[in-house]
Order: sequence, then structure tokens, then C-alpha cells
Amino acid sequence: MTRYVDENYKLFIDGKWVEGGGKKFETHCPADGKLLATCAEADKGDIDRAVSAAWRAFETWKDVNPQERQRILLKIADLMEANAEKLAMVETLDNGKPIRETRAIDIPLSIDHFRYFAGVVRAEEGAATMIDKDTMSLILREPIGVVGQIIPWNFPLTMAAWKLAPALAAGDCVVIKPSSETPLSILELAKLLAEVLPPGVVNVVTGRGSTTGNYMLEHPGFRKLAFTGSTEVGYSIAEAAAKKIIPATLELGGKSANIFFPDCPWEKAIEGLQIGILFNQGQVCCAGSRVFVHEAIYDKFLKEAVAAFEKVKVGLPWEDGTQMGSQINEVQVEKILGYIEVGKKEGAKVATGGYRLTERGLDKGCFIAPTIFTEVNNKMRIAQEEIFGPVVCFIKFKDEADVIKMANDSEYGLGGAVWTKDINRAFRVARAIETGRMWVNNYNSLPAHAPFGGYKKSGIGRETHKMILEHYTQKKNIFISLSEKKVGLY
Amino acid sequence: MGLSGKPDGPDSLTYGIMRITKDTQVEEIVKIRGVVSYFIQHGVSPISCSGAFPQSLGNLLSIKKVADPDAFIEGLNAYIEDQAQK
Repeated sequence: MTRYVDENYKLFIDGKWVEGGGKKFETHCPADGKLLATCAEADKGDIDRAVSAAWRAFETWKDVNPQERQRILLKIADLMEANAEKLAMVETLDNGKPIRETRAIDIPLSIDHFRYFAGVVRAEEGAATMIDKDTMSLILREPIGVVGQIIPWNFPLTMAAWKLAPALAAGDCVVIKPSSETPLSILELAKLLAEVLPPGVVNVVTGRGSTTGNYMLEHPGFRKLAFTGSTEVGYSIAEAAAKKIIPATLELGGKSANIFFPDCPWEKAIEGLQIGILFNQGQVCCAGSRVFVHEAIYDKFLKEAVAAFEKVKVGLPWEDGTQMGSQINEVQVEKILGYIEVGKKEGAKVATGGYRLTERGLDKGCFIAPTIFTEVNNKMRIAQEEIFGPVVCFIKFKDEADVIKMANDSEYGLGGAVWTKDINRAFRVARAIETGRMWVNNYNSLPAHAPFGGYKKSGIGRETHKMILEHYTQKKNIFISLSEKKVGLY
Repeated sequence: MGLSGKPDGPDSLTYGIMRITKDTQVEEIVKIRGVVSYFIQHGVSPISCSGAFPQSLGNLLSIKKVADPDAFIEGLNAYIEDQAQK
């Protein structure tokens, strides 16, 4: 097979590739266990150097005009597009997700994110108000400074694009840390960024959360933190930000409701069920992991869902025909299988799946069969906790009020969907569910230009939309007296 | 297999060599084969899309509001010893 990655990767700091002060770590392909590369781990000194480099770069980057920032963002997108096949394969190898997804979704959406913010940056304006005839108030957006960004392993390049594009558009400089499980696509992206960005504008530091991640949280040099990951780690990010009195945007966990009414567009709905929980092997924060099906269609829907799940081709992720690839690692498999046992003990029944796949060349990887639980009560742990795998809970409901109550009985509020041809019902249910994103007759669509983020313990802030620039900028008010007269108080 | 899907070194496959305390890093604990099952059975996920929880076990149990952290840790050590004897 063509070698898509380097054998060794360093840290990308101040526009240069430098050795890290910490232990080196290896990254392996989860689908076959093979070593992909050895990476550097950033220690405290490396974080200091990265933050310092970012602040030096900020002195000039903050004043780069919108036309130039747009040109650079577009150039990044063009470079990614020219290297799309390589980026797709690197992501597939490092993460285990099917190549059909990285080619059609991860990489194109990431590219488009840079193009979206390239467009947005030219349309951003401040505001001017006449407070009275002699007093003018100007409101200008100014970049916030150096931002620390920490991203997860489930969508490495896409999450990097969600974070980097708005920060660069806003005029900020960045120190970004990918997950130590999946650092390679961001490191490959850094090679492209080096061609167009001044040194220090983006710095990529790799390493474990307990070392590199915590050094970032402790560092006093950041003016904002941005994080995508679990709610548990989100507490630490929020606490670190609070101690520094800096803002943090958080995109956290979920246990989203995928709701099917009797008048749903049937075939599309069956596919939507699969997209909701099988896309990216169910390792999606907004996965439709709680499926609520109206009692009038429950039996037929379940039968067809089981048949559809059993047809899904789980396979080696780099093969074109593979629909579902490998989970991220062995401990994630252990976690998923652990939850399957929990579900059985709680009294739920496995309608299909529920086991690890090891046949047809999958024995060295981390593969789980698409799994449906029935006879689930919404209070069960499998209906309340994030399993983060291709495991879905089927729950029967009687009417709108019933399903809205159950859907909202969750500490999370990130995604969700309602499937119906009744437009009034669609809007009623979409409005009633306490969640940041409700899809109507679709699922897991995550393009730029539509805000994404959570209610409740699913997070703070909205990404993938120009409104995130509010978080990457601060407001300067210039308050002007046009009068020549004294106020007269002294 | 370890966090990165690779076969781990002998130390991480050997049960009973590490006595878990509230100060033990979760990242170290989850290297012990089979230990994630104990966490899940007892209502605490030590891993997520952020990887292994990047702090101590005590902090994780506090965030997860585990009512009796000492009992959780005692049970975890017993589980590891039990697995080692199998």
C-alpha cells in the first residue's frame, strides 16, 4: 500500500517542525493495529514556546486586512482540496472510519469550512449609533488574541477546521492540540498551513490529555479556550477558563432523540435511522442513539430496521465498499461491549448485533456489529449514558406529548430529529425538544452556515456559523463627543 | 491491545502490579486490560471522544458524583486482582 504518512512527526511551532520535550508516542491504525507513525509529545516548555510564538505572530496577524485573510483562507481550502485524497486516507487510517465517509464528508466539509469563513470575513461589520446629536458610539470587533483549542478523535480534521477557520477569520492566533489517538491529519494539515500562514499564527502541539492538554489548561497565556469532547473533560476546561477569567466554548456529549411518526417518509426514515447511529461507527456526539418510534409503526419499523442493520457492510475502512469501519481503539470496544452487558442486565433485548466482529479479516481491529436494543425504558442507563458506538435503543411512544417528555428527559441536548410529513407536527416537536440542533427528515447533516452546539450539559456556544466569531472577538466601543462645549460639571 | 489499538508491553498486561488510589491517573488505569468493563458496570465511563479522562481517578469520581469513591476504588482493586488470578 502507498505510504500516506511519515514515520515520525514533530511539533509545529512558530512555523517550524521541532522536537517535543515529552515522551514520544505512537499512533496505530485501529482497523489492523499496524504502527502508523511516532509523534512528539509537547511538554510545558513546548507549550510556552507555542504560546509565545502565537503572541509574536498576533502582533501582525491581528492587523492583516479582511481581503488578505480571505485570500489566505481560500488558499488553505485550495491546498486541502489539492491534497484531498491523501488527507482522506490519512484520516481513515488513523481513525478507522470508512474511506467513503472521509472522501465524501470529512474532507469536503472541512474544506468548505475555510471557504465559508473566507466569505464571512468580508461581510463582517461593526456598528455606529448616534446616542444623541453630539455623541457617537462605534462598536468594533477586535480579535481576542491567542486561543487554545483542544479537539477529539472522532472527527479530527473536521473539528480542526471548525476551530481554526473562525479563529483565523477573526484575526486570532492559535495553539491547537489534536487527540493523541488521531494526530496525523492535523499534522498533515499543518504542512499545508505552513505554505500560506506566517510563522506562529497556527501552532500544532501533540500529546496526551494528562500532559500536553493539562499544560495548555494551566497556561496563563491564552485569552480563550475552545474545546470539543466529553462533558466530563468539559468541566475541567470550564474551570480552567474561569480561573483565568477567559471565555470558553464547549461542544460536549449527547444522547440525542431520533423520533419517527407514522407518517414519516418511510425509506428515507430507515436510512435516517442508520445515518443517525451508524455514521462514523456511532462515534458522534450528536448520534441519534435514542430512537423513539410511534406504537402504530413500531413492529414494522423495527423489523425493517433490523434487516437494514444486518445488511450493513462492516469492513476494513480503506476498502471502497465498506459502510462501517473500526471503532477508535480497544478500550472503546470494551466500553461499548460493557454497555451492551449493562443493557441486557437492565432487561433490554438485543434485536440484532451486540457482539464484536472478528471474521473476514477483522480480527486485528476494533469492529462492532450494528446493534439494536428493544424493550428499552428511557430511564435505563443505556438510554441515558453516551455509549459512543453503533448501539441504538428503541423506545415506543404513544403521542407527541409522550415522546417530547421522554426526549427531554436527558441531561444532554445536542442533536435530535423528527421524521414526519406533517409540517405542523414537525415544527411543534422541533420547538419542544430541548436541544441545540433538530433535524427534520434528515440526520447528521453538519454543513457550515447552520449553527451547531448544545443545550444543557452538551455545551456552550455555537460553531459552524458566523455567530462563532462573537466568541473569537471582543467588542471595542469607541465613544465620541462631537461637541466643542464643556460638560459643565467642573 | 492498548489505547492506540496496539499490543501493549508486558507491564500493562500484568494484573495486580498497580495499586489504584484516588490519585492514580485514569490514563494509566485504562491500560490494564479489562478494567473499562468494571468502570462501565459501576456507572463511570473513564474514556470518551477526548480519550482517557486526563486527570486522577479521584477527580473523575467526583465529577461523576460517585456516592462512595472509596468503595469504588476498593472494588476496582479487587476486580484487578481477581482478573489476575484467572
